[in-house]
Amino acid sequence: MLRRTFVTLAASAAATNANAQTNGEWQQVVDAAKKEGKLVIYTATLGSPYHKAVVKAFEDKYGIRVEMLEARASEVRERVRIEQAAGRFVGDLHHNGSTTTWLMMRDGNLQPHGPIPNAKNIVPPYEADEVRIPAEVISYALMVNRNLVKPNDEPKSWKDILDPRWTGKILSDDYRALGGGAVFFVVTYDAFGKEFHEKLAAQKPVFSRDIANSERRVARGEYPIYIPFSLQDYNQLKGLPIKPIVPAEGRPYVRFDLAMLKEAPHPNAARLLMNFYLEPEQQLVLANAGYNPVVGGVVEKVDPNLRPLLATKAMGTTVPERQDAMLELAKQIYK
Amino acid sequence: MTVATRVAAGLPQRSTAWSSGVARYGRPIGLAALVLMLGFLTVYPMAMLLYGSLHSTPPGIPGTFNIDGYAGLLTSETLIVLANTVGLSLIKTILSLALAVLLAWIIARTDTPGRGVLEVLITLPFFIPPILTATAWAMLGNAQVGTINLAWRWLSGTDGTLIDVYSYGGVIWHMMQYSTPFIFLFVVDAFRAMDPALEESSRMSGASRWQTFWRITFVLMLPVTSSAFILSFIRGMESFESAVFFGTPVGINVITTTIYNSITQRAQPDYQSATALGFAAMALMFVLLVLQSRMLRGKNFATVTGKGYAPNVTRLGALRWLTFAICIAFFLATVVLPIGQLLLSSFFQFFGFYQLDMLTLDHYRSVWRNRDFWTSFGNTLLLGVSGATATMALGAIVAYVTTRTRWPGRRLIDLLAWLPWMMPGMVLGIGFLWGFASLPHAIPIYGTLWALLLAYLALGTPVAVRVASAAYQQIAADIEECSRVHGAGWWQTLWRILVALAWPALAVGWVLIFFGIMRELSASILLYAPGTEVLSVTMLKMWSGGKPEEVSVVGLLMLAMVLLFRWLQLRFLQRRIRTL
Repeated sequence: MLRRTFVTLAASAAATNANAQTNGEWQQVVDAAKKEGKLVIYTATLGSPYHKAVVKAFEDKYGIRVEMLEARASEVRERVRIEQAAGRFVGDLHHNGSTTTWLMMRDGNLQPHGPIPNAKNIVPPYEADEVRIPAEVISYALMVNRNLVKPNDEPKSWKDILDPRWTGKILSDDYRALGGGAVFFVVTYDAFGKEFHEKLAAQKPVFSRDIANSERRVARGEYPIYIPFSLQDYNQLKGLPIKPIVPAEGRPYVRFDLAMLKEAPHPNAARLLMNFYLEPEQQLVLANAGYNPVVGGVVEKVDPNLRPLLATKAMGTTVPERQDAMLELAKQIYK
Repeated sequence: MTVATRVAAGLPQRSTAWSSGVARYGRPIGLAALVLMLGFLTVYPMAMLLYGSLHSTPPGIPGTFNIDGYAGLLTSETLIVLANTVGLSLIKTILSLALAVLLAWIIARTDTPGRGVLEVLITLPFFIPPILTATAWAMLGNAQVGTINLAWRWLSGTDGTLIDVYSYGGVIWHMMQYSTPFIFLFVVDAFRAMDPALEESSRMSGASRWQTFWRITFVLMLPVTSSAFILSFIRGMESFESAVFFGTPVGINVITTTIYNSITQRAQPDYQSATALGFAAMALMFVLLVLQSRMLRGKNFATVTGKGYAPNVTRLGALRWLTFAICIAFFLATVVLPIGQLLLSSFFQFFGFYQLDMLTLDHYRSVWRNRDFWTSFGNTLLLGVSGATATMALGAIVAYVTTRTRWPGRRLIDLLAWLPWMMPGMVLGIGFLWGFASLPHAIPIYGTLWALLLAYLALGTPVAVRVASAAYQQIAADIEECSRVHGAGWWQTLWRILVALAWPALAVGWVLIFFGIMRELSASILLYAPGTEVLSVTMLKMWSGGKPEEVSVVGLLMLAMVLLFRWLQLRFLQRRIRTL
């Protein structure tokens, strides 16, 4: 059943691009959205000024008022779930990581969005389907303290962190919990095998889940290395003695998706914002904040400090269907 | 004129018919209303959670009833977590209680210099968001480059480490910074309101100062100290920030971090395990409450009676400088070090990087211009003032029913009022979400400020009831009887006698609840809607958005408010009890 659903969705994804709307038809969506006049987004990008900037630009352009409900991923999901179960259809658009979005799609909390003209601009490895539109991508790198790690000692490959000189000196997001650590674990496990992680476990990495604080602990010199470092945090740390490094194998990443909530009260406004997110100008706002854009022709225009980092190879991403099994595996390796 | 005669004078007469009507119907109607209100606030969300713990899926999703959530608790891993939680909380509560009682005695009953100012200063840590003090202590006490360790190495000329906050000791120390002022606030007014005649009798009978403290003062303070102990112990078991910040990185897990993992750290949130663990914690806490109730049963702790009394202070002589030094040491360790760090950081571009070229006022400007901040600040003030007032009113009534009447059903009311305190906040938050969202749509609670207000009312009621009942227990029944003999009704006696005498304690309870509301996050983030944002949610957004310096600014603003509130409160208090 699940398999059939995905086959259908994959076919629809191709159709999404093929069935690009004519300007006239899309204008009807725009008019209907303006008539709706309002949009409610449930987003897991808690406190991000960049997403707010995109939303503000949308409000200015179309005169549609946007209300944002920000919370952590699981809180967003639970609110949507219980509201829908109680017959309260308040939210229009859902913006969350790909794993949570996948779970919500499986549980029937989302609905197909209909044709989105800008979906044709999405570039591989990112892709849209009937329900999900990729909005932006979080990419993970290494971060080192410049005072503690000399340029010659900087890790060039992910495997360089296995060097005995880093034993007990790596601060890391936890691989046994949902988040950047789990993405890093899945991608490097698939790329380098179990042995890599057994050796990394022997390096005794110190786990902490408070990412913002961990980054600053490394900047203050408590630890020389932090993994995995979200590139969108780079701007906020400018001026501190840190350096992000994307190793030769590339950057693990996780996609953030936009999807329309079931029985959304403002479906046209929701479609309009999905389309707006994919416009190059808005993708550039997000790329200049350190997110990888999902449409072509944007990385080239990004701030020169960030461009070399974002222009690196996408190494791989997490697979929602295997997520719990991989978290269990991480627990066995990192006891 | 004594306190009792002053407040009891001049009660207006009521008509006999009105009084008899109230006597006949008022009690059952009042009781039913109380039970209904507490039932809605506490039993209803708990029932949703109980369903969640016994059902394979959360409300609204088809599933089956089973006990997998509870069966899953019977593992050595969970037992270690439970033992860690109880052990950590017990140690920190014992240490905090000892310290808080000492400080309360110094402030309320001795002639230690500057104690009016000290009283305000030593309570400050309680009002700072825990995430901020955790950040400050992480900078002060980390083993590698912590300020204290660097200073120690410089002074001692060694490479050694003096303290490491990422340890059991670090978790306990961080929790103590909240529980010591909390217990202090709880007990200081009880010390102040105590008639010293009993202590004087003890001294005149030849007992030493220490014997008098231990046998008279301590025993008389048992209701309030044991209440504070239980509240603080339970709160310790529900503490999250200390454990997640300083325990998790070194493998110390407690109930709340395990619940957090079940809900937020898995692809598929496991609400059944989380709620079952919540109920297991609740069962543990219930045992404690029964023990406390047995310990106090049948004893009389009244020290404020119809006889006039003049609270006095112990003259310590030169020793008063020692007590002064103790207060200053506590103030330095728990206030100056972390708050100094916060204050300093708020003027630098980055927390903990003190370079001249990084000096800035940007964080203050940014908070000043942040529209979300002002909206949430306004909402939080509204909810804080109305919530704390409503909660204290409810708490004063519930405490009256449970401590001063023999009405049938009073034990049920007491238990209902306790329930929210016994369930870890992050689980209870889910109970409120499930409960309020599932109400008929015609009842406009979900998605409005009412949802937050009702949740705060439920969460604050246990504190309000404990504060009020501890204060009532110190007031002898004879004053009340006197009031009734003079023709006062139930409401009049409650208001003109009990509340009038207990108000300093009630005012402290109000402040505790007000700032509890300002800090509450677990329920707030699940219940707020666009437009009803509250301060804790805005602070979480700032924190997640990589702006800890702006969180510091808000934390400092909250501290300024605390100082103002406490100053006003103590000024008012001093005007009322001039003998102190």
